[in-house]
Amino acid sequence: MNSLIWLPFLPLLGTLVPLLSAHLSRTACAFLTAALPALTLLLVLSHAGDIFQGERFHAVIPWIPAIGLDLAFRLDGLAMLFAILILGIGLLVILYARYYLSAKDSIGKFYAYLILFMFAMLGVVLSDNLIQLWFFWELTSISSFLLISFWGHKTEARKGARMALTVTGAGGLALLAGLLILGNTVGSFSLQDVLDNGDLIKASANYPIIVVLVLLGAFTKSAQFPFHFWLPNAMAAPTPVSAYLHSATMVKAGIFLMARFYPALADTNLWFLIVSLTGLITFLVGAYIALFQHDLKGLLANSTISHLGLITLLLGMGTDLAAVAAIFHIINHAIFKASLFMAAGIIDHESGSRDMRNLNGLWKYMPYTATLAMVASASMAGVPLMNGFLSKEMFFTETLHQASLGSLSWFIPVLATLGGVFAVAYSMRFIHDVFFNGEPINLPKTPHEPPRYMRVPVEILVAICLFVGIFPSLAVGDLLFAAANATLNGPAPDYSLAIWHGFNLPLVMSIIALIGGLLMYKNRAHLFKFQAQFPASDPKLVFESAIQWLTRQSQALIAWAENGSLQRYVFFVLAFAVVMTASSLLKLNTTAGQRPEIPLDALSITCAVLLCISALATVIWHRKRVVALITLSVVGLIVSLAFAKFSAPDLALTQLSVEVVTVILLILALFFLPQKTPKESSPRRIVRDLSLASLFGGIVGTISYALMTRPLDSISTFFTENSKTGGGGTNVVNVILVDFRGFDTLGEITVLGIAALGIYKLIARMRLFMPSADGNGLAWSEDRHPMLLKVISQSLLPLALLVSAYIFLRGHNMPGGGFIAGLVTSVAIIQQYIAHGVEWIKTRIKFDYQIMIGSGIGIATLSGLGSWVFGHTFLSSWFDYFYLPVIGKFELASAMIFDLGVFLTVVGATMLILANLGQLTTSERPTQQEHE
Amino acid sequence: MEGMYALCVGLLTACGIFLALRGRSFSVVIGLTLLSYAVNLFLFASGRLRLNSAAVLGESQQYSDPLPQALVLTAIVIGFAMTAFVVILAMRARADLGNDHVDGTLPKQPGDTEQKNGGNA
Amino acid sequence: MLNITIIAVAICICIALILNLWRLLKGPTISDRILALDTMYINAIALILLYGIHARSSLYFEAAVLIAMLGFVSTAALCKYLLRGDIIE
Repeated sequence: MNSLIWLPFLPLLGTLVPLLSAHLSRTACAFLTAALPALTLLLVLSHAGDIFQGERFHAVIPWIPAIGLDLAFRLDGLAMLFAILILGIGLLVILYARYYLSAKDSIGKFYAYLILFMFAMLGVVLSDNLIQLWFFWELTSISSFLLISFWGHKTEARKGARMALTVTGAGGLALLAGLLILGNTVGSFSLQDVLDNGDLIKASANYPIIVVLVLLGAFTKSAQFPFHFWLPNAMAAPTPVSAYLHSATMVKAGIFLMARFYPALADTNLWFLIVSLTGLITFLVGAYIALFQHDLKGLLANSTISHLGLITLLLGMGTDLAAVAAIFHIINHAIFKASLFMAAGIIDHESGSRDMRNLNGLWKYMPYTATLAMVASASMAGVPLMNGFLSKEMFFTETLHQASLGSLSWFIPVLATLGGVFAVAYSMRFIHDVFFNGEPINLPKTPHEPPRYMRVPVEILVAICLFVGIFPSLAVGDLLFAAANATLNGPAPDYSLAIWHGFNLPLVMSIIALIGGLLMYKNRAHLFKFQAQFPASDPKLVFESAIQWLTRQSQALIAWAENGSLQRYVFFVLAFAVVMTASSLLKLNTTAGQRPEIPLDALSITCAVLLCISALATVIWHRKRVVALITLSVVGLIVSLAFAKFSAPDLALTQLSVEVVTVILLILALFFLPQKTPKESSPRRIVRDLSLASLFGGIVGTISYALMTRPLDSISTFFTENSKTGGGGTNVVNVILVDFRGFDTLGEITVLGIAALGIYKLIARMRLFMPSADGNGLAWSEDRHPMLLKVISQSLLPLALLVSAYIFLRGHNMPGGGFIAGLVTSVAIIQQYIAHGVEWIKTRIKFDYQIMIGSGIGIATLSGLGSWVFGHTFLSSWFDYFYLPVIGKFELASAMIFDLGVFLTVVGATMLILANLGQLTTSERPTQQEHE
Repeated sequence: MEGMYALCVGLLTACGIFLALRGRSFSVVIGLTLLSYAVNLFLFASGRLRLNSAAVLGESQQYSDPLPQALVLTAIVIGFAMTAFVVILAMRARADLGNDHVDGTLPKQPGDTEQKNGGNA
Repeated sequence: MLNITIIAVAICICIALILNLWRLLKGPTISDRILALDTMYINAIALILLYGIHARSSLYFEAAVLIAMLGFVSTAALCKYLLRGDIIE
């Protein structure tokens, strides 16, 4: 169980090893790098006995179980088969790369990428959670990008890597969507749950979407037609990478995915049609293209595409035996293709060329390598006594049992045989063109045998080819059986791994393929001539131009959507908000709820009419700015009346005072802004905005109505019950503000202070235009401070301060409190500014408003900290009752100190904004008037 | 009563949004103010409408929900701070850019003589 | 008796408010509109007091005090704007 968790993470740890040991000799680095994967392989193999008995191992570390996110691993037959391939071939590639890479290449970096990729692949095959599987899936795309672009100085390497990443990454996104839908359909992201609920998934309405999305992921990764073009371009990678990624691992991840979800998704007509047809087409197209490649690796890449198509076709056939054949071919293909890539790499490395038109007659120069390559390509061609022959035989058998295309079903075996013919032909070409066929032409180096140990991996793989081919049951019997069991999520069917099944139709097909392939190769000159008639089309160019087209389109889209107009952005944001809210309202069945409505009365209707008409008047007259301001004041007044009416006296008081402050602020601003708004919206824009606004209003009104007519289950009973006993006040709203939710209020006054300071900074050094006449062109009055206003305002000040103090003190028990008292005080002071001017005030009020804000927030915080002194939590309040002669019994509460902080902050912030705004003009104004 | 209330909230929202979509900063500020009225009323209504039941202990038989009231109270004050910020920003934009259009540049309209910098001096 | 009075006063206030609105909308000068707004404040005071009497609650009277006081400031500010453009100088 615990060792299972280590399986993928040992290689992850191993990514550090090559980086740390790169300064040692290359051999040492290679050996140290190989240590952890080797250990992992041993760990996997240590589970083999139990797995062969049909056991399955799971290991889960819960992370966010509520949304199905766990770190979950599983080891079953299929996972083990892939883990062995990944680790085993990975180890051979490490050895091979030691000799392949030149001294110029940073071997530490290469190994680190390789092991990272190994980690990602192990993660994919061992994952027991859909999201986790996807994560590792994308990690394989990214790490393969690093590997393919290892020779980043080559254009083709960069382009090939980018293409591979684009195609597989896009497929990965489709896969994510598919897995999310799949997980939601099943109700669990656990892989085992998904596999066990195949019938549920297939019955679900989402099934077609899931299948298409998951298969998109698999097909892009496995280079299935029409996404096959990235694989040949990824051949720009160093050959060890090709041998690893494009034989055994990366491209097999797509196959693995199909095999993994086989019990959950397969066995329907849809699956059959998509998978088998895609596989068949890929099989033929890949084989055909492979024959005409001149590049050694290009031939192998296209043959890989073809073989992947073959496996896909098997997985799409819908019979259990076909699935077994698919698994078997996965093993065989991985082995012979890895050895072939390595052999191709040796040829490239020791002769300096990969062009089969120049490579000829290498048999004389490297007979040993030639023998190995010939055995491996014989396996690729499906020659008896090789492992490739066995699985191809099984494949032919299965094609004969297909009835899914109805009376056209005979097409499948015929086309399969045709594919076999091509496979023999290109294998023949690989052998004959390279090792025989005359003398080498213009090679950069004289070819010779590679270093002794560079050949070892090829030797091992070719030996396995032969071993599996001759003693199949002994070699892979148990592993294949366990993997087939795991793939089918049930018992595998009976099958026989014998070499000789008697003289039957599949054998005839094999013979036809062999003879046909040899004949085709012999007459290849005609075929090449025929093929030359087609205009050469490079998928790389098509892909690049497609990408460029996409870039241009998205640039055009961005230029359209992000044109720098805030007006447009606001429209987009609001339109999106409409769509989001409307869609959820559509699900609400009735607008009105159960709660009885309050009956209407004439006074309320009058007020509502006033509100609506004033709001509309504000809109209609918004270009006459002063008038709009007046109608806006009416709206504000009615809103505060509404608060009073519906039992919120505190809100009414706050709204009233804020209303006045806002009006003063807007008048101040209006002086510096144009008095009238020009008419500039086109009728189309007005209609557009009107419809959006009405839609939005309608939605908000609907939500509001639906909300109000439904019964309320509020948490507020806690507050009303504990207000007196816990907070010492009867005004629950105030107690909530200064006590229960005091921390929120502290945050809010801080925001208020920050906003005021920000405004202060914005006002500083602002150069403003000041009109010298009013909107109608009349000059301003000469009387700066009318006597009447001065006298009334001055007498208002003490009165207002008294009211303010009264509202502040009683706030804890009756409507009022620091917010309202602060606003009232600021309004009273501002009235003095209006009546007497800044200079007059300056000599009388000497304190700094910024310090006032600071001390306000400070006092509020300290009152909270004070409770720490008495061993209570932050902001918990204290209160008691006292008795004084004359005044009588009164209450003192620490919350009032907090409220004092609120009061000071509100006064400071409001005054900082308004007084500074007013002050700003004072120094400028006289110069303006002198010009008049 | 609830229907009428909802109607008023909806209308205020619509008016606010329409004005917020205008091009000149002062209209936008007015629109935002209207919108904040609507939002405050909306939030307040989430505690349901009740008559004669202020959340002051001992003053009435039943109490309206004090929590939305407390939230709206701070929302009103913060709303003022934000309005002030937008107003000053608009003024600053006019001072620095020379016009009061929210996009910072005047839309191109042939034959419009009123739209020169400095407004109606 | 009190109830009848309240209803009668309520009707009067309704009419007054509507007339205020009429003047406010009609104008024609800004001064007319400011005057209408100021009168509306006064009617609102009456309305709140009336509501307080009707509900037999003194909770709302502070609101009336505030309107009385702050309404004046708002009117004064608007008037100062008409007079001088800049209200704080």
